[in-house]
Amino acid sequence: MKHSKIGSKTDFRKLGREIARNKYIYLIMSFGIFYLILFSYVPMRGLLLAFKDYKVRRGIMGSPWVGFAHFERLFREADFRRAFVNTLQISFGRILFQFPFPILIAILVNELRGGKGKKALQTIYTFPHFLSWVIVAVVVGNVFESDGAANQLIQLFGGEPRLFLADKTLFRPLLYFTDVWKESGWSSIIYLSAISAISGELYEAAAVDGANRLQRIVHITLPGIRSTVVVMLLLAVGGVMNGGFDQIFNMSNPTVQKVSDIIDTYIYRITFTQATDFGFSTAVGLFKSVINFVLLVSFDFVARKFEGRGIME
Amino acid sequence: MRGKQGSGKRGTTRRRIKPSTVLIAAILGIWGLMILYPFYNVVIVSFMTEKEYVRTAFVLFPKELTLDAYMRVFSNARIWSGYRSTLLIVALGVPFNLFLTVTLAYALSKKSFPGKRFFNFLVVFTMYFSGGVIPLYLLVKDLGLMGSLASVIVTYGVSVYYMIIIKNYFLGIPDSLREAAQIDGANDLVIMLRIYLPMSTPVLATFLLFFLVDRWNSWYEGMLYLTDAKKWPLQLVLREIVATSQKTEPGMAMGLLAKRENFGMGIKMASVVVTMAPIMVAFPFLQKYFMRGMTMGAVKE
Repeated sequence: MKHSKIGSKTDFRKLGREIARNKYIYLIMSFGIFYLILFSYVPMRGLLLAFKDYKVRRGIMGSPWVGFAHFERLFREADFRRAFVNTLQISFGRILFQFPFPILIAILVNELRGGKGKKALQTIYTFPHFLSWVIVAVVVGNVFESDGAANQLIQLFGGEPRLFLADKTLFRPLLYFTDVWKESGWSSIIYLSAISAISGELYEAAAVDGANRLQRIVHITLPGIRSTVVVMLLLAVGGVMNGGFDQIFNMSNPTVQKVSDIIDTYIYRITFTQATDFGFSTAVGLFKSVINFVLLVSFDFVARKFEGRGIME
Repeated sequence: MRGKQGSGKRGTTRRRIKPSTVLIAAILGIWGLMILYPFYNVVIVSFMTEKEYVRTAFVLFPKELTLDAYMRVFSNARIWSGYRSTLLIVALGVPFNLFLTVTLAYALSKKSFPGKRFFNFLVVFTMYFSGGVIPLYLLVKDLGLMGSLASVIVTYGVSVYYMIIIKNYFLGIPDSLREAAQIDGANDLVIMLRIYLPMSTPVLATFLLFFLVDRWNSWYEGMLYLTDAKKWPLQLVLREIVATSQKTEPGMAMGLLAKRENFGMGIKMASVVVTMAPIMVAFPFLQKYFMRGMTMGAVKE
């Protein structure tokens, strides 16, 4: 007993010395930490509103409690239920249809010999990523206008022109396509760098054994990027509560709202364009954040366990 | 299957380009054209005369070029105020981002100090959980920033994602350098300024660019916090220009006829060009820096 007490005292002194020795580290860190406390942690106090009837004049703390009333209303609200289902459908649609594209592009680009052409292609592929959805919605939207290129092409082959942007059955495929158009080139870089980490000897040995290109891709390239693919997939599944606010907000219109409204666009609409009920809106946001958190933590755990790295690193 | 196609035709040429190579190049080339075409279309329409556009909206090579749309865009005070706001946001916001993110990355790259795990958790936790839109909105209100450009600048500070990548880069700088400097009596601040930052200039340049693009493209915060449209950043101004010229298109179902009746289109497209021009012009020269940032994020060890 006595020993440990003395021990802890010297430990304490040692700790003090360690802190003093690192005082500049704390100083350097203080700006970022202070920032995150103010802009990430202080707002979390606002989550109390999810259980309160917000009165502007009484503030967050002074507003009266209402328990789970907002959440009870939430599950009764048809618009919310629709947004929730849409979010999941769109997110899984994205995983199903969009996820393979960057991998495919990376594999194909990797098959090209380096040179000016390859470089130019990659510049073109990655460029749209650097534009906002405000811009991309217009740029790509044009192609799908009533007399845009897509309809010209359809008519060329004898088909009937379609109103892509106002068609409930076509709107989601359009979302997937435009997001592939904007992001798959950029996302392919992750896979390309994973491919470049594969040992060249493997390919040489396969060539000696007479493996053709497709066999090399299937037996060397794909297994070589497996871990990257799994981590990216887990990250995508972890983010299913998002659905892509920026894109949908800029591309959708009232005609397709039934199939395009996701939780985030729903929150925006009820908060800033309809009768404002901050308590209820916060409850919707909290509901989303909690599910999001649980998903991310679980998939991060899975990634760490099986792939040896977290999904966020 | 793929390899067989047309193998007789190209496989026997002298340079021995494999048919599968031709196929791959063709697929990638077509995808490249599919990405380029919408941009080409935007630029073309922005230079087209109203008459020609009304006649046929789908044109590959216009007969006549005009600067009318650009004249009207540049005489729009909103575009100028948008540019001013965006430039202010970039000029003040990017150093703010870099300072907060890099200092945090440096501190957390130090091997061990009391409380490191706690601080690390504090930082990373914000990536997994956030208060959401409304609590942040109320904070901005409480801070008295509503309606001021400061709201847009200040609500984007630390990027934890970029921080982790920069931190991993710092971790790759040999510890012996730090130790040697410590023996010479340098403290952590001096070590950061004299050793770590000078050794990381390419990385810092990369993230400066990332922040620059993030800032240039931001519109959502402005939409929430800037009540006065005169303060709106360029992207938000563009959003409005696009929205108002769509409004004159009555009833989406009548789209085929309705769009011919107004010429918001040229102005719309010229505004798009004006908004994306800086990125479009600079991108080919900066692409390698961006790619380096992405690659750094993917390969840690």
